[in-house]
Amino acid sequence: MSIIRTENLCKSFGDLEVLKNVNLTVDPGEVIVIIGPSGAGKSTFLRSLNTLETITSGKIFIDDELFCHAENGRIVDSMSPDRHKALLLEMGMVFQRFNLFPHKTVKENVMIAPINVKGISKEEAEKKALELLEKVGLSEKADVFPNRLSGGQQQRVAIARALAMEPKIMLFDEPTSALDPELVGEVLNVMKDLAKQGMTMLCVTHEMGFAREVADRVVFMADGVILEEGTPEEMFSHPKTEKAKQFLSSVL
Amino acid sequence: MESLQKILVWLPQLLNGTKTTIIITVLSVAVGLVLSLFLALGKMSKNPLINKPCSAYIFFFRGTPLLMQIYFIYFGLPQFNPALTIKSAFMAAMIAYTLNTAAYLAENIRAGIQSIDKGQYEAAKALGMTYGQTMKLIIIPQTIRRLIPPVGNEFIMVLKDVSLVAIIGLSDLTKVTRAISSSQATALVYIPAMIIYLIITALFTFIFNKMEKKYSVYE
Repeated sequence: MSIIRTENLCKSFGDLEVLKNVNLTVDPGEVIVIIGPSGAGKSTFLRSLNTLETITSGKIFIDDELFCHAENGRIVDSMSPDRHKALLLEMGMVFQRFNLFPHKTVKENVMIAPINVKGISKEEAEKKALELLEKVGLSEKADVFPNRLSGGQQQRVAIARALAMEPKIMLFDEPTSALDPELVGEVLNVMKDLAKQGMTMLCVTHEMGFAREVADRVVFMADGVILEEGTPEEMFSHPKTEKAKQFLSSVL
Repeated sequence: MESLQKILVWLPQLLNGTKTTIIITVLSVAVGLVLSLFLALGKMSKNPLINKPCSAYIFFFRGTPLLMQIYFIYFGLPQFNPALTIKSAFMAAMIAYTLNTAAYLAENIRAGIQSIDKGQYEAAKALGMTYGQTMKLIIIPQTIRRLIPPVGNEFIMVLKDVSLVAIIGLSDLTKVTRAISSSQATALVYIPAMIIYLIITALFTFIFNKMEKKYSVYE
């Protein structure tokens, strides 16, 4: 049973085809790292999974249940909004630019969704928030506003915020690309811990070291399609396609 | 000094007029602000049944002189339909200024909302918030700080525009000033009147600055 699966996922922006028949199956607990040149459609693909981008055609399954279905640019409606929401909440997302809520403190950022979306009590949400902040190493910053944190700290708060909703799948869209190099490590460490704890993760990233260490599978995308996939060992040491070879030689 | 004595004699009347000026200004901007929020959200709606009337409203109230709007609401409406008579000139003035202010502020609010980074909407959506929750918890609170300069500006403009109420017979500070000036054939009264306007403007500018500082804490 797959935890997330796409069938012939296509996305076009007007005439521009960005994703062409992308088929990917992810098993529970798998850590997938998606790599590829700019414009390959990696972020668009990730964002299509949690409907931040609406797919043009294709199907997305969560836990083998049809979550999203589109044909010719129209969504084929098949499920109740509540069910759709429940499946959407099984995914958490971490953004390149963090997107923390600047007018709320760190703790409030982590608490706001559980309280308002899941109806959890303030006390329980607070307790959970402090636990998560502890996990990402930021307990002492709980009552601080995001503008006082470094990029690495903000991203760790963003991870805690996503985890507060108890998702089964975490989507990371270039989580360290906007960080100063010396801050990248602290975020990757949190992600590595998460992977060790068995979270299913899909990461679009350029951090090849991370991929080598933690990924179960590396997926190479170019021009809107998955050209190649394999274990980190297979991908990095013996890439099969020409484009993958070119890309890897330029980044490694 | 003789002049100072005259001014002291005029002061009670001037302050009476000032009371009217301030009440109309504060209430119409406050209520207009609430109305403008709905107008702004309405204009941003994807539903033409909502966005077209909102755009039309904003177009009308920004496109016609405030003077005419006041006059029309008080004198014009009853001529079309006696049921639309507003007995109190004060009420008519309140309605005119509120409707007018709302139209101008709606555009400021819309600009403020649209200036919020798209990433905020995306994060809220990824966390499962509805559009309503996103607006209420995330977007509007961040817009407030951005709105203080335009709202402060509008407030200070309305303060002066209230002088138009003279055409429907209300006595604001300007009307009182002009009445004293013509009945006693002296321009001296303009000095305390202008000073009063300056004091009110300074006071509210101070308040708005304080509010802006308070809301800037997190940015």
